[in-house]
Amino acid sequence: MHDLVGIAIIAGLLALDDRAGWQSLAGEPVFSALVVGLCFGHVAAALHCGLALQLVWLSIGAARGARRPNTVLGGVVGAGTACLSLHHTGDPRESLVIAGAVFCGLAAGEAGQWLDTRAGTAREKWLERFRLPQDANVATRNLVVYTVGSALYIAVVSGVLAALMLPGSLALADVIVDRAGTAAAGATLWLAALPAIAVATIAHAFATRTLGRMAAVGGLLAVVVAWLL
Amino acid sequence: MAAVAGKLTRADLNRVFARMLFVQATIHRRGMQNLGVLFALDAVKDHVGGEGPQGLLAHHGEHFNTNPNMVPVVLGGVLRIEEEGGQNGPASVSRFKQACASALAAAGDVFFGGGLRPLALTLACTFAIYRFFPGLVAVLVLYNAALITVRYRGLSLGYERGWGLIEAFSSPRVQRALVLARTGAALAGGWLAGVIATGAFRQGTRVFITTAAVAVLAWLAARRGIPASRLALALFPVAWIVALMLH
Repeated sequence: MHDLVGIAIIAGLLALDDRAGWQSLAGEPVFSALVVGLCFGHVAAALHCGLALQLVWLSIGAARGARRPNTVLGGVVGAGTACLSLHHTGDPRESLVIAGAVFCGLAAGEAGQWLDTRAGTAREKWLERFRLPQDANVATRNLVVYTVGSALYIAVVSGVLAALMLPGSLALADVIVDRAGTAAAGATLWLAALPAIAVATIAHAFATRTLGRMAAVGGLLAVVVAWLL
Repeated sequence: MAAVAGKLTRADLNRVFARMLFVQATIHRRGMQNLGVLFALDAVKDHVGGEGPQGLLAHHGEHFNTNPNMVPVVLGGVLRIEEEGGQNGPASVSRFKQACASALAAAGDVFFGGGLRPLALTLACTFAIYRFFPGLVAVLVLYNAALITVRYRGLSLGYERGWGLIEAFSSPRVQRALVLARTGAALAGGWLAGVIATGAFRQGTRVFITTAAVAVLAWLAARRGIPASRLALALFPVAWIVALMLH
């Protein structure tokens, strides 16, 4: 129960930052997973999970209004699943548990986007009803109510969704880990190969001649430094 | 902190700035950021707007949409124009707002969405790969310092320039900043790709070949507009089944 409340609070606060406020990057999986890891233990596993999710969701120059999975929910639920699954089961196959958690995080991001959009419709309808009152003080009060109310709605919906998704995600991760058997190698190989999606995203985003050259220079530098070290 | 020339004091601008942090909280399809703009302008409605306290807010209830990091720049300009009596009336202020919003939405999306944000995220991923936690924290701190600077200075710049803002944003310096941000992001992206490739190589031939195959598949998917997230989800059962078959 405490875990669910903790995850709900983290998801709510990060959603507040990511969707209603400053947009500080703290809601991105690589950072949110770190927060979850620090709160629930297993920092390294949580960060591994957040990193894998971030590399899949590395959106570069996404078009205005482009549909993106709910990265806050995905990151928090994925990292929470990794931490709690390792904590409860104590399974030594950490890579397999993380692979299961990443799969759950990806699914939570997709489901979260769909559910959040539906839940957001009510908020939008409420906001569309706003009319500027004649009285200046009433106008100020109404604007504060609408802004604070809308921000809280976003935070509460994200918190509730995270708390609802986590038990299902934990159950799914347990099934994956329990039933893996000989397929465990496939799941861990999937996790190891996921960063390739980021490589493709980078290649696709910087496909112009000038930017492509810069990306190639960066890649070459990384290879040379890795070889030297 | 330099004093501001105009009716508004630094404290007034700070109040507008603080309220602008929540400009995305009230975003909705019909008016987009209009309620956020009203909420921010409400902080100074007693000082600006020639038709009494209601004047300022009454001018700005219409649809408004730009990059959230660029809202302070536009609102700074709006406050200056309103303060000067809204040269040529409310329609003119509205035209200014819409013109700036469109131009700055594009510039902001390129600078932040295509440059600064990917740069920060690729660096964060690189630090996460090496488990270098101070680097992760440094990325977060520096990114937010850049956001604060752009937003806060943007508000001041807009308030200083008013109509002159359009000229300021047409200068080659802005274009150079956009190119620099994109170039930096490309360099960092390439670095991350190199780190991933060398990491896969170190894990053995099997991982390296799988990584290369997934990269090609993901690139083809990206060209066809298939979301990377769904591809990743679809590959999980494939990897599971292939592992069972090969065993």
